Amino acid sequence: MDKDLRLGVFLCDCGGTLSKVTDFSAIKAKLQKLSDVTYVGISHDLCLKRAQQAMQKDIKDKGINRVVVAACSPELHEKDFMNVVQSAGVNRHLLSMANIREQCFWAHPDKDKAAQKAMAQIGMAINRARFLEPVEQTQISVTKEVLIIGGGITGIQAAIELSNLNLKTTLVEKEAALGGKLNRFANLYPVQVSPEEVLATKLKQVAEGQNIYVLTSAELLDVSGEVGNFSARIKRGNGEFVRNFGAIIFATGYTTQFSSQIYGLELSNNIITQSQLEEMLKSSSEVKQIPKSVCFVTDISDEHSRVSPLSALRNALGIKEKFRGEVCVLCQNLKVDGAGLEKLYRDCRNKGVLFIKFDNSPRISKQDGKIKIEVEDVLMSGEQVTLPCDLLVLEETSVPPLDSKVLGSTLYMGLDAQGFYQENNVHLYPTASNREGIFFAGNCHADLDLMQALTDASNVALSAYQLLAQGKIAVEAEKVMVDPNKCRFCLTCIRACPHHAIQEAKVNHEKMVAQIADLACQGCGICAVVCPAKAIKPKDWSDEQILAEFELLGEYV
Amino acid sequence: MANESVLVIGGGVAGVSSALKLAEDGFQVYLVERGPIIGGQAALFCCKATEKCSQCSVCLVPEKILEVAANPQISVVVNSEVVGISGGIGDFKVDLLQKPGFVDPEKCIACGICTELCPSEPQKGIYLPFPETAPRTYIIDKNQCLRFKGAECNVCQDNCPAGAIDFEQKPKELEVSAVIVATGFEVFDAREKGLLGYGRYSNVLTGLDLERIFATGDSVTLPSSGKCPRNIAFIQCVGSRDEYIGNGYCSQVCCKYAMRFAKLLQYQSPEAKVTIFYIDIQTAGKGFGEFYKECKETIRFVRGIPVEVCELSPNELEVKYEDLTKGKIAKESYDLVVLSVGIAPRKDSWDLARVLGINLGDYGFFDTQDTLDSNRTNVNGIFLAGTCQGPRDIPESIAHGIQAASKVIQTLTARAI
Repeated sequence: MDKDLRLGVFLCDCGGTLSKVTDFSAIKAKLQKLSDVTYVGISHDLCLKRAQQAMQKDIKDKGINRVVVAACSPELHEKDFMNVVQSAGVNRHLLSMANIREQCFWAHPDKDKAAQKAMAQIGMAINRARFLEPVEQTQISVTKEVLIIGGGITGIQAAIELSNLNLKTTLVEKEAALGGKLNRFANLYPVQVSPEEVLATKLKQVAEGQNIYVLTSAELLDVSGEVGNFSARIKRGNGEFVRNFGAIIFATGYTTQFSSQIYGLELSNNIITQSQLEEMLKSSSEVKQIPKSVCFVTDISDEHSRVSPLSALRNALGIKEKFRGEVCVLCQNLKVDGAGLEKLYRDCRNKGVLFIKFDNSPRISKQDGKIKIEVEDVLMSGEQVTLPCDLLVLEETSVPPLDSKVLGSTLYMGLDAQGFYQENNVHLYPTASNREGIFFAGNCHADLDLMQALTDASNVALSAYQLLAQGKIAVEAEKVMVDPNKCRFCLTCIRACPHHAIQEAKVNHEKMVAQIADLACQGCGICAVVCPAKAIKPKDWSDEQILAEFELLGEYV
Repeated sequence: MANESVLVIGGGVAGVSSALKLAEDGFQVYLVERGPIIGGQAALFCCKATEKCSQCSVCLVPEKILEVAANPQISVVVNSEVVGISGGIGDFKVDLLQKPGFVDPEKCIACGICTELCPSEPQKGIYLPFPETAPRTYIIDKNQCLRFKGAECNVCQDNCPAGAIDFEQKPKELEVSAVIVATGFEVFDAREKGLLGYGRYSNVLTGLDLERIFATGDSVTLPSSGKCPRNIAFIQCVGSRDEYIGNGYCSQVCCKYAMRFAKLLQYQSPEAKVTIFYIDIQTAGKGFGEFYKECKETIRFVRGIPVEVCELSPNELEVKYEDLTKGKIAKESYDLVVLSVGIAPRKDSWDLARVLGINLGDYGFFDTQDTLDSNRTNVNGIFLAGTCQGPRDIPESIAHGIQAASKVIQTLTARAI
């Protein structure tokens, strides 16, 4: 606690509405009697510029060093008041607020009790203010370069957009060429551009972009450091090297997997998976035997991703266009909730693709090399339909690539139930990971179609740009701090931190202690709660502050 | 990028997301909204959580609105429409037609005196439309305000402690470097599907009606009797996947909201029976497959869209549909029918397209220049965000809004070099 406390209390009666309920001058008189209270002012409109300028002047003139505002909800104007306090030359964290409007006068009809509660609230805020501590702003310089893992369409697009924003990127791809799924897909329906064309345009943009450094046949092994200054260990061929990056974008995509147990069928020359079909369509000329009738089966596994149904729709049309013949798609619920998919579905039907919907899984048998499919067509009153087919295409499920799972766990990133990367907040920050400065884009974290993946690419590019463009990041230094004298280095906090913001450090060349990285810390306070030695203190919510509030509350309850 | 400004047309969730990202990058943003407050359609939707969150994302909207209200880089211009534009990228001149809103957001302190004193009863003529508004300003409802009914009332103006109410406000002109169009969508008008009875039978509601009812915190009751509904039917794809009415696309939101509402109705009264009539249930998306599985335990799913809804008595509706299992027409009675109306392009998109010189594409949504770029229009410097380009849910609209901001920043950065 500061020895020389000069508390200033600013009351707001909200345009006079609250003064009608209670006598503000009586509150003011009571407050003035409290120790250390240097100034008490009543305003009618503290939320407006004019009153805030007056408040700033009062803080300066009266030499106030702790500010208490009793007004409406901090949700509405706390940031404004912090700015006022700062502009008056006092640290912006030396502000404490009491919500006497929403939480008191608006909530309670009994005027006397409300007035009593308001006094308690203001008193608590004052007590808390006594123990407030300044939090200094500092700037940390960062490496203005972004590492992108995964050279599929999402990674390529993110690199191009970052290059448009004048930020350097390194694009790491484990295979020998960029492109990812663009190299495997035969078409990109409902997008009416061929994958070859898209790839050629994008590669041209990559080559033209001054700031893109492409590393193919390379892999990310490990990352140390924190946001702004990650150092990444990258393996290429037999060599290994370490480079520094300000931010990392994961665009590792997905891979497909076929499980034969679902069908009880083994793959053969006329029972193939969707990716095998894709290969067949892609390698155009050399098909020995043109299939006369092709059947797609999807929706049998419990998988609810877009990948398999979209692949069936795309390639049903692809086959029809290429080989003609009979094409039939068997599904439960056709997924059309994406841009242009309903139209694609209609195009397929117009071209003669037959869609059969089932509730009970179709029975597939193979006799003398011939495939027979029996299915109850629900749109035909459950009539039993028998379909002979030359080529059966079975669905695949989308799964995360093994190496992306391994990377996720080595970098302390969360994974979801299927092993894809888990976003920090699915709604609010859909491309942010639990670690500051590490982002996800595309199908490595969500079930997206091409256009959505491109949206993701733009969004991560912008996030990385806004993080690094200034070359430095403003940060509140030691808003949560570890007392090295109390720390016993039990590692509890390091294990508990959801953002991997706590690392080990050596003090005075001997003792190992936990150290919180200011840039990575989100100020959640979990470490302070779990620390058995009470060595960690969040400056805005220290034990002293909370106990001081409770002490006063005790007088009223 | 200092001193450059961008115009965002439309204060819905996509426009707000664009504005926030641009402001973060140092742009001066004019967020122009035709209504008296920002937030758009999603701000009027309800939370659909039962005992657990159903991830409808509606709660993101007030949060974004508060961020806009607190951001000094964003000037919110309400009650205004774009009526003219000249110049090009880097130097657009935009004419705004500003309808007077009568309450000055710069001065209003949201104290509530005006509502308290307003003599209009029972519905007040001036009020705060909902708790999280931006600008945080009371609005005058011309349908209720006595002054607009011809009376010489001046109570609110005389008593406003901040002097924020002024019945004589004037129009504006803006100079901006780029424009983002985020004018949103229109909910499909279910009356266009006359046989389903919306607007004729009191117990036929739309998904939007349910949003409004739950948003006011009420529980759903039958409009005819005030009783709790016991047997409810949802009809999917009303105004979506329907080439005959010109909407040959999937609205992408209805399956999810219908299932969330069905769960919510059963949460409200556990004995309520719910049937969902559908074409294909759209279950793609993280965690949604599990939600569908959960729904199947308590909700009956029937394949096929009913052809007609008839009113047998004020409290009984008959739904006529083809029973696919028997291949016959079946009739079932329900006490409440909810039509899952979809996303339709705004009917006035044509006017804005003409003013801005941008193209309309399939079904009346705004068109893009390049198939792989869902933001750029045929006019350099004018970009699209959100549902004015095609159907999207709330998180996707937010993402698309941010993408539009990203494209603006990239385009203006390239120009600066």
